[in-house]
Amino acid sequence: MTSDSDEHDTPAEVDATVRTLRRVAVGYFVVFLVAIGGVPGLTLVLDWWSKGRVIGGMSPSFVMAAFGLYVFFFVIGLAAATLSTAVESRMLGGPDDDAADEDGLK
Amino acid sequence: MRSGSLPLAAVLAATWALVYLFTQEFADPPLGVGTTVVAGVILTLLLTLGYPSALRGPRVSRATRTPRVSRLPRVRRSPAAGSSRTLAAVGRPMPLRSGLTADAARRTAQLLRPLLGGDAVAITDRERVLAFVGPGEDHHTVGDPPQTEATARVLASGKTVVVRQRSKLACRMPDCPLQSAVVAPLAIGKRIVGTLKVYRVYADPPARDLVEGMAGILSLHLELAELDRERNLAADAKLDALRAQINPHFLFNILNTIASKARTDPEEARQLLLRLSDFFRYAVRQDGHFAEFGQEYFFVRTYLALEQARYGDRVRVKYDIDPQVLTAHVPVLTIQPLVENAVKHGLADKLEGGTVTLKARVDPLTRTTAIQVSDDGVGIPPAVLDKITSGEIDPTGGVGLRNISERLDTLFGERYRLDVQSTEGAGTVIDLRIPLR
Amino acid sequence: MNTASLVVLVSLLIIVGGLALVIRPRGVSTLDFYLAGQRVGVATNASAICGDYFSAASFLGVAAAVYVSGLDGVWYATGFAAGFVPVLLFVAAPLRRFGEFSIPDFLGRRLDSDRVRLVAVGVVQLIILSYLVPQAVGSGITWQLLVGQGIGGLSPYATGVLVSTAAITGLVAFGGMRGTTWTQAVQFLLLLSALVWLAIAVLGSGFNYGASVAELATDPLVNPVHVDGDWELATTPNRLEADAPASFAEPGARYGGLGQVALIITLVMGTAGLPHVMNRYFTSPTGTAARMTTVWVLGLAGLFYALAVMLGTAARALIPDAVADHPWLEELTVDGVLRVPEHALPVLGRIYGGEAGLGLVAAGALIAVMSTIAGLLLASAASWGHDVYERHINPQATQRQAVRAGRSTVVVVAFASAGLALGLRPESLTALLPSIVATMVTWAFALAGSALTPVFILAIWWRRTTAAGAVAGMVVGALAAVTMFAAGALIGDRGLGEVFMTPTMVAAPLAAATTVLVSRRTTVPAGLERIWLKMHGTAADRQAVRLARLTIAGVDQRPDDRGVGDAQR
Repeated sequence: MTSDSDEHDTPAEVDATVRTLRRVAVGYFVVFLVAIGGVPGLTLVLDWWSKGRVIGGMSPSFVMAAFGLYVFFFVIGLAAATLSTAVESRMLGGPDDDAADEDGLK
Repeated sequence: MRSGSLPLAAVLAATWALVYLFTQEFADPPLGVGTTVVAGVILTLLLTLGYPSALRGPRVSRATRTPRVSRLPRVRRSPAAGSSRTLAAVGRPMPLRSGLTADAARRTAQLLRPLLGGDAVAITDRERVLAFVGPGEDHHTVGDPPQTEATARVLASGKTVVVRQRSKLACRMPDCPLQSAVVAPLAIGKRIVGTLKVYRVYADPPARDLVEGMAGILSLHLELAELDRERNLAADAKLDALRAQINPHFLFNILNTIASKARTDPEEARQLLLRLSDFFRYAVRQDGHFAEFGQEYFFVRTYLALEQARYGDRVRVKYDIDPQVLTAHVPVLTIQPLVENAVKHGLADKLEGGTVTLKARVDPLTRTTAIQVSDDGVGIPPAVLDKITSGEIDPTGGVGLRNISERLDTLFGERYRLDVQSTEGAGTVIDLRIPLR
Repeated sequence: MNTASLVVLVSLLIIVGGLALVIRPRGVSTLDFYLAGQRVGVATNASAICGDYFSAASFLGVAAAVYVSGLDGVWYATGFAAGFVPVLLFVAAPLRRFGEFSIPDFLGRRLDSDRVRLVAVGVVQLIILSYLVPQAVGSGITWQLLVGQGIGGLSPYATGVLVSTAAITGLVAFGGMRGTTWTQAVQFLLLLSALVWLAIAVLGSGFNYGASVAELATDPLVNPVHVDGDWELATTPNRLEADAPASFAEPGARYGGLGQVALIITLVMGTAGLPHVMNRYFTSPTGTAARMTTVWVLGLAGLFYALAVMLGTAARALIPDAVADHPWLEELTVDGVLRVPEHALPVLGRIYGGEAGLGLVAAGALIAVMSTIAGLLLASAASWGHDVYERHINPQATQRQAVRAGRSTVVVVAFASAGLALGLRPESLTALLPSIVATMVTWAFALAGSALTPVFILAIWWRRTTAAGAVAGMVVGALAAVTMFAAGALIGDRGLGEVFMTPTMVAAPLAAATTVLVSRRTTVPAGLERIWLKMHGTAADRQAVRLARLTIAGVDQRPDDRGVGDAQR
């Protein structure tokens, strides 16, 4: 279990992973773009968005720009990172590295 | 499949447009923002939650486009399933459906006592009293051997016995309130497995027909339970068969490949050996009927990496996997045989080789997992395809579509589709759709 | 300026600077100098990335932009924070897995072309320079406020620029990257604690965020302008509604509808092409760790910018009432409004923490400048020293020579940027471009987002990308960005001009389209399969994780096997 080449991916596997990850990334990116374009964009179409008053007198647009979006970025980032890592671990390498290790060490 | 999301998006957009129209344009003065949003959100929730079930609806088989399309045969609805529908008309779930156990017997006895016009109801198997409900349960304890001589007679003869005298009941306790009884046999086929006993505290025994009829119904339930068990055993047996059936030719071929590479490219030979051990480890370690798609995918990858080593550039592979499908549960050892068929029958006979494509999707709206294995190999001649789908021949000589479709039958009943489309000279597409779980 | 703030400032600077020297690398190797041996923990690396990223533009500039233009200034914070989402989605893990020294090296290896490498070096140097200048301006402004006097006949501003540049150049040249990875993290923590302290002080004094925004929204937004040698307050016009005054809590003070989106897109796309930030990714142990690092960065950045936005608002709301109690504010303000918006945070610090508070905020600002300049200089050194010197000028260079080449680059680039900063007198530009530091940084983002990011993302995710395509894309992107910028400066930043000032929205698609078109007509490099395996495969990652696990298990249970584990690394 100590050679550098114990782990090995085939081109077809990597290609499949790339396409799946790309789909994940593009999906999240679209959601991200909608959110980040929507916050200033809503100003143009919805008066309430920049003139309304929610928590303590801020407009919804101000609330989103001042806190909401940062929380959103973090959540979307965490979700994308978790999903991408999960996809990679399932699509490349063995299903259960620990089990493989056990066998190897016996 | 994916198209399920598009109509939903359209419906939602239309709903919000309507909400806007009604609250902002029609209402005068316009409703407050909070009210509007709450109304819209509630409608959205109702639609998204209700949509999948509405979309599932009655299953319509889609029109077929390619020249040869056949549906694999499916096990016909068994007579037992038919009777289960009759029993459902009684209106209550039958506990004995899960077999003749003390717990199920107790619940059944409680359920039946008011229906049968008796004061006490007991259920026994061949050795013990499984349940006793009603007057006298203080000394007719569960777990004892049946005391009446009548029970022994019923178990021996399989005929209903009516007891009209207290002395014939032969109860040890002198102050036992029970005076008369009807004892009817419970049978699975011709085998008597127990009795249903209905007692009364006065000399007029309960209606014999009623008790006999109910005993007959219970017997049917027991028979169904037995069938379920057998079906599971059969599925297990098929899985075992599949595991045992890993094609010996495949093993010899791979070992030959490894042996020849051991001289030219020892590093690759080592990789192949590792893959081969992964392959067998996976095949023998699966003990359930389901595994994560990710694990089955690993098995397919391992298999194809080995085949690619053997065939070189002649076998090309393309995977197209939805991220969501990786955690879906699929029947074990189903996808690899499909892929193996594609390589062995589709590509191996084609001189210039070809591409195997494994495509996996999941549709959360209709809760379906869709798996497609396609190749651009030689295809299947129409006559052969007919024979395969009608189950006459087993084309692989080993792991066939037959085995897979039978296992899917036992696992999903009617709720799956396995379609084979093939055009001679252009390739074969196998489409598998199973419920998402 | 008095002794208390000077003492705080100097002692903080000494602590931070001292760390860089204490944790100096022992042996000098180029790998250590540039990348700290590629072994840095996730949290540390995230903090170091934040230290690189949060520059004067973030610390002083965002608060200043919010102070000047309210909601339209908040878009800076949003855009700066959002920039890491595309990094996370598209860049972090493959960049680390492919594992080269720098962006030009990455592109050069990926496309198997020296031409791509050299063009990328040019673009990277342009980006670094346009990022360095606003940092130098920021340190000049801080010095001006803090010390208020020059040394040796120079103006306070020039003194600030020169002193900070000289100090940080010395640190980078002699500390090396190992020092700066740790110090970047420490510096970021100091920066964050300065901000947190200020936020607690402001909130503790009874500042009500929501109510203040509501109150500021009632009056039109006014800002000081310099007319005939005198300062007077003028109403800021609203760009969304003609003839109406702008309001603090509503968009329109600075950008029209198109301008807001253009600015955000520019900032979002820019981050993935910032060389000093991307270089940090090469120090993660695995691709997965690089991804998790970015999640941490997103969290830290969110906290940082939410606080900066709040403090900008607080400055706008609180300073007018504070003038009466703090006579020193008179000369900085016009009727309670600051002349130089970048002073917002330091002034708040002095109001709530006295001289020591001013010292802390000033130290934070100088540290923000220093850590960013350090990151930029190292990125510059890496691309000159590694990509040009070691490959083209002197291929037989010894380690010592390569390091020396890197160090001399640091000195040259640093003083070039200082010279440019001296040429730009901030007072002359403040009237034209409010919160000049944040605005100038967008130029660097625009260049990075237009020229590098599209090519970068395509090279990572599109197999067919070719060297010729990448070169064409980078050149077209950079030219488009610069041309549009020049055009924007001529026609002014109204209407379409807004897009010209933040050109990524147009230039990046143009660069991407060029790359795709040219790539389709040329052939891909031969070793693509191998490159793809290395960039997107996780075999090396899994191997690294397994070895780490074995090593740990060896340390815990089987001391005999430790040698094996160590030998593997």
